[in-house]
Amino acid sequence: MAERRACLNEVLITAMASVTGLGPDLDTTWRRLLAGETAVRPIARFDAGRYPARVASWVEGLESRGNRSLLYPLLERLLDGFGPLPPGCRLVTATTKGCIDTFERVRKGLPGDVADIPVSGPLTWLASRLGLNDPGVNINGACASSTMAVARAAAMIESGRADAVLVVCMDLVSEFVFSGFSSLQALDPAGCRPFDRSRSGLSLGEGGAALLMMNPAAARRRGIPGIGSVAGWGAANDATHVTAPARDGCGLIQAVRRAMAKASIGPDDIAAINAHGTGTVYNDAMESTAFEAVFGSRRIPLNSIKGAIGHTLGAAGGIEVAVGMRSLTERTLPPTAGFHEPMEKCVFSVSPFPQAIDGIYLMSTNSGFGGINAAIILKRDPE
Amino acid sequence: MTGSVVAGIGWVTANGPGRGREAREFSMTSGPIPPVNREDVFPEPNLRFGRLPQYSRLGLAAVAFALRDAGMEHWKTKRPAGIVASTRAGCLQTDIEYYNTVLPEGGGLPSPNLFSSTLPTCFLGEAAIQFGLTGPTLIVDDPAEDALSGVRMALESLSWGECGTMLAGHIDLPPAPAFRGIRLRHSGALFLVLESARIPAGPGYGTLDLSEEGAVRHEGIEVAGLNTLVRACLAHPRSS
Repeated sequence: MAERRACLNEVLITAMASVTGLGPDLDTTWRRLLAGETAVRPIARFDAGRYPARVASWVEGLESRGNRSLLYPLLERLLDGFGPLPPGCRLVTATTKGCIDTFERVRKGLPGDVADIPVSGPLTWLASRLGLNDPGVNINGACASSTMAVARAAAMIESGRADAVLVVCMDLVSEFVFSGFSSLQALDPAGCRPFDRSRSGLSLGEGGAALLMMNPAAARRRGIPGIGSVAGWGAANDATHVTAPARDGCGLIQAVRRAMAKASIGPDDIAAINAHGTGTVYNDAMESTAFEAVFGSRRIPLNSIKGAIGHTLGAAGGIEVAVGMRSLTERTLPPTAGFHEPMEKCVFSVSPFPQAIDGIYLMSTNSGFGGINAAIILKRDPE
Repeated sequence: MTGSVVAGIGWVTANGPGRGREAREFSMTSGPIPPVNREDVFPEPNLRFGRLPQYSRLGLAAVAFALRDAGMEHWKTKRPAGIVASTRAGCLQTDIEYYNTVLPEGGGLPSPNLFSSTLPTCFLGEAAIQFGLTGPTLIVDDPAEDALSGVRMALESLSWGECGTMLAGHIDLPPAPAFRGIRLRHSGALFLVLESARIPAGPGYGTLDLSEEGAVRHEGIEVAGLNTLVRACLAHPRSS
């Protein structure tokens, strides 16, 4: 049984990794984010010729072995050099569609292992690859999946159910998902432009993140330093529409307020916001409305990294926690790629350039199909 | 760990629909699931139900039966109740139906209506809208055979104070023949309405909690799986 802690609300992040369209590691992704680059480019993964939008952010050089899913080489790349994990470490993953490329192959009559199609396939593979006894669980909360996985892991550590939890999040670019968003007319042919006046849709992306979260006492005993902490988390359903966000932002407002209550902080303590920022007209307007309801007209630095790495679905929140934590430690919020002219009625400071962060708390939020909203509050050590 | 009261139970299995206060027996096997029609679930016309794929109908129906069993189906203001369900195959059958519309031989015109149900969480959104539920909603994919991960997570959420009420259960719909290699032990959908023991509850089906090792217990006795859990609840003395 994990150590029961007297002091709540402190959950360390002790290791982070990411793979995105911008690069095979967090350092490369961070450097290219700061430079304002984008990995959104013409799709080479499948023939997108019949769709109006033909761009996405995909990871270069993933190769399928033995007709298996591209998710496995993505995870190999993500976990290369990651670890070792503390004894008893638990596993929580997040993905929306897992080995969706295997599903596509089987439906086309091509060879593929159907055992990979339920998420238990990659989950079991991951546990084996990491040497964990317990295969863990996968959390699916639509596009907020990994935000909810991080929240779950934090709650497990805070409550003493675990001393260490590894969160691994992942999703691929596939024709299955691409065609669906295309059918909803939700893809921007020019690449997404979060919070821009002329935004007209999202760009899909693929990637993964790994976050090792630990109880501070357990980390200290093993001489593992913390990078920062997860201070608060919250989730709520807006109970309004299955594919569209509630225009008044009621679900996101609730999630943010729950996260701040958990962190025992107020709106004035949040120094920066990493928004979901998909670049769709309705999502970005909903977020702006929700944030204004919580934070008033304070001009908080706000960004979205989806213009740079695309919307990585179930991996989005995890990648954004890794980048958000890096933003706090570097005291710099990366640019919002694709942003040029502020959207109407947005009081927050969105910029195509890096912005300084003056404070120790950063909030990261995600929202998804089914009315799901989730928020995470990250904290760096005050000096 | 603080216990939670089971206030209602609802399901759709190979034997058809059911709910706790109308049943003495329960079995969730791997058999095929009969189609769920609107008339089986809602007495009045329902704008959305008929458009939903079978997986979403199944989940929404079981949630409706569980809330009806708990006397919580009707509402005036939204309520902070969450939903968590475990699954093995998720919405694979809906994925198949959607992808058929993508493939050239299926018409090559991707269906936006079907696509919007190609996440296993989508029926949770339907349930949240139908019943005004604003707590956390999530699906847990779990390789475990006991189909109790959803219940386990809900009990944790309740003990952590994330919500006062959670619907917890399991959902799986047997996939098409091409995917027969995916083995399901439990077909259908089942939900329990769990209320924090801190909330004064009406007559229920006993109390659930978790052992230190994370095993689900009914009235302090560990249960091995979903069938055992529901049978223990149904056998619990209660006033109807």
